[in-house]
Amino acid sequence: MDAVRAFLRHPSGMVGLVVLLIVVITAIIAPIVFPVSPWEMVSAPFTPPGEDGLLLGGDTLGRDVAAGVAYGARVSLVIGIASAIAAMVIGVTIGAISGYFGGKIDLVLMRMTELFQTIPAFVLAILLVATFNPSLLTIILTIGAVSWPPLARLTRAEFLRLRNREFVEAALCQGEGTLRIVLGHILPNAISPILVVTSLTVATAILLESALSFMGLGDPNLMSWGFMIGAGRTVIRNAWWMSVFPGLAILITVLAINLFGEGLSDVLNPRVSRRRS
Amino acid sequence: MNEAMQAKVPVLSAENLSIALPEGGDRPFAVENVSFDVKPNEVVCLVGESGSGKSMIAHAVLSLLPKSIAVASGAVTVARQNPTKLDRRALRRLRGGEAAMIFQEPLSSLNPLKRVGKQIEEMILSHQRPTPSAAEVHERVQQLFTQVGLPNPKLLEKSYPFELSGGQRQRVMIAMAMANRPALLIADEPTTALDVTTQRQILRLIDDLRRDRGMGVLLITHDFGVVADVADRVVVLRHGKVVEQGTVEEVLRHPKEAYTRELIDAVPKARLDDVRHKTIRPESLLEVVGLHKTFRVKRGWLQPPREVVAADGISLTLHEGETLAVVGESGSGKSTLGRMIMRLTEPDGGAIRFNGQDLRQLRGEALRQARKQLQIVFQDPFASLDPRQKVGDAIARGPMAYGTSRAEAMEQAKKLLVRVGLNVVAADRYPHEFSGGQRQRICIARALALKPRVLIADEAVSALDVSVQAQVLALLAELRQEMKLAMIFITHDLRIAAEIADRVIVLRKGRIVEEGATADVFTAPQAAYTRDLLDAIPGRDFFDQPGFASAAGKIPTARMSS
Repeated sequence: MDAVRAFLRHPSGMVGLVVLLIVVITAIIAPIVFPVSPWEMVSAPFTPPGEDGLLLGGDTLGRDVAAGVAYGARVSLVIGIASAIAAMVIGVTIGAISGYFGGKIDLVLMRMTELFQTIPAFVLAILLVATFNPSLLTIILTIGAVSWPPLARLTRAEFLRLRNREFVEAALCQGEGTLRIVLGHILPNAISPILVVTSLTVATAILLESALSFMGLGDPNLMSWGFMIGAGRTVIRNAWWMSVFPGLAILITVLAINLFGEGLSDVLNPRVSRRRS
Repeated sequence: MNEAMQAKVPVLSAENLSIALPEGGDRPFAVENVSFDVKPNEVVCLVGESGSGKSMIAHAVLSLLPKSIAVASGAVTVARQNPTKLDRRALRRLRGGEAAMIFQEPLSSLNPLKRVGKQIEEMILSHQRPTPSAAEVHERVQQLFTQVGLPNPKLLEKSYPFELSGGQRQRVMIAMAMANRPALLIADEPTTALDVTTQRQILRLIDDLRRDRGMGVLLITHDFGVVADVADRVVVLRHGKVVEQGTVEEVLRHPKEAYTRELIDAVPKARLDDVRHKTIRPESLLEVVGLHKTFRVKRGWLQPPREVVAADGISLTLHEGETLAVVGESGSGKSTLGRMIMRLTEPDGGAIRFNGQDLRQLRGEALRQARKQLQIVFQDPFASLDPRQKVGDAIARGPMAYGTSRAEAMEQAKKLLVRVGLNVVAADRYPHEFSGGQRQRICIARALALKPRVLIADEAVSALDVSVQAQVLALLAELRQEMKLAMIFITHDLRIAAEIADRVIVLRKGRIVEEGATADVFTAPQAAYTRDLLDAIPGRDFFDQPGFASAAGKIPTARMSS
């Protein structure tokens, strides 16, 4: 509860949270504000912003850009959060096993992690999505599969730090099993930095998804920000609004998540929060 | 001013000093209305338990208080100056010039990336005007090294702090403090991080330097033994207020206040009564045979690994209901011994026999079952409780892991909490809500929840204030009787070993130097090393410490009159 109260007093973290809430609300109310599907052609192509009742204009086929941005928020948030959670599950599991058991297991798992780290994430993501059919699920799994290494390394470091703590040894002496010790004692004490990094992973996941959609590798049934920028890119010199508005949406969302994540980090890191108080 | 007059002007005086704490603290003032003087050639000890504000005073003297804390009223005068009123330049001249300070942990007070000789040179160069020549400075550094008793100054001045031992580092710190011939030396727990034998050398060095130079020394300590050894006058602090002050004789022999009396009584003393001898039963419970352990620390690619021998053929027997103290200085392998018995550290060779089994051969479930009978209490009560687990759960977890139902385990945990002197409601609180002593009680309750037959106490009271230490020791002694526990009590403090143990083992570099009944070891030590350790007990002449009375063959009262 102290952490929540401290967060409410964190200025940039609160700005991030408020903006993020606006994005979330936009995503939720999109079908109410724009009852017509964002794929529907509602006006003449190349309608500039403000004309023909379209606040943010229409695209090359006369689809409503505002509706696209609102529906795109749903896609971006779902994919961002779901793939960050996927990355967390993979990363924490590998990091925890590696850090707790050490030795040969650690060696093998860490070399594998390094292998993933040496391949550029985006190239690997393109490869994976192109191999499987692009759908919401495969995109989430793909982004999760390329985003876990930093989380694994962090978790491993935290586990190494905590593994030989006296309270962990005390639990061992009391006959508690390995799983109990890991889930009941080490993980709860390591969770703060893991949560912070996961929240920042959401931002990179949104960027990755946009980049994939921009390349035309997104789910073809979903209106996403990246897809809109990709579609409007060829005509950006005479119809700027088609790429700029979804671009701004990405910028603002990612920025908000980063501010939120940093605020979270300051609040959960006892050294920083003590200095503030 | 003639010399006699000079001698009477205090080098440090505090008058009605009050230091305010930021709002929302547990008390409004860290220190309230404290007055005392330190005259030249005098050692004044500030004694108090943790939180008494003794370090605050030391920091106020050199104007080193954190930003949020300020002197509220009263004044400190150091060498006729008030540090709070000085500008930065004058303050810099004062610090390390007229008044120098040494701290508890010498490793963190030295710059790890600079050779120690350079660090002392810097101290001289930054203070002395006109700036002395390089040759002069160098000669002065050599002199200082010799004065603080560092061997081979030429070689040592080129060393880095990590290459020196704890005692050598503290000597370097002292040399640095002495560099500009200060009138006042402030020593904040200068020996707390050191072994007893080193502690004695450092205290002696400070005392010698004080006498040579006639400087005033403000020594901050929590140990009445240290006070008895070196102080001329004592100031006893509690919750930021002066409880009592006066000469050592007055305060220690005839304390006026109940609190002072309590603290002096809490100093562990040998109770070499022979009642406990009868309690030793012949049946052996735990047998350690020829235990070996060598730690190998990798250094570089081409260098061979550094080897530290923690156990070099240790054999011992623990009988039922017996308390065995394992004493030794840091690095003697005493903690490793306890950890090896608990199977927290894997020995290289040897056997640990318990209940007809060799613990070293056990794996998995068999080991889990055996561990139930052996429990350990660690040194640091802050590190040994999971900060995110409620106290009741921490105690109940053990029995639950062995199949006791949650309700029953919690019931038992609450009973144990009451037994160790805490309230039942403690079960629903988190560890951070408790003090160090209370936490150690929780740790003891946790260890006892499994009804072990052997309890290993690894420096279990070393991190506690003396008065709390005495209470926890008394609790352990009671529980030992009640639950028929056999105890291995690992400690660096011989006074504690003498107070609680039936038998003592003295370890040095992984080898048993001496072993025997407590009374025998303390009154008629066989090994030279044991004698050194006994000699180094602080305040040994003052309190009736082990080894003194009988070794000299005199009655203690005869000594007191002399």
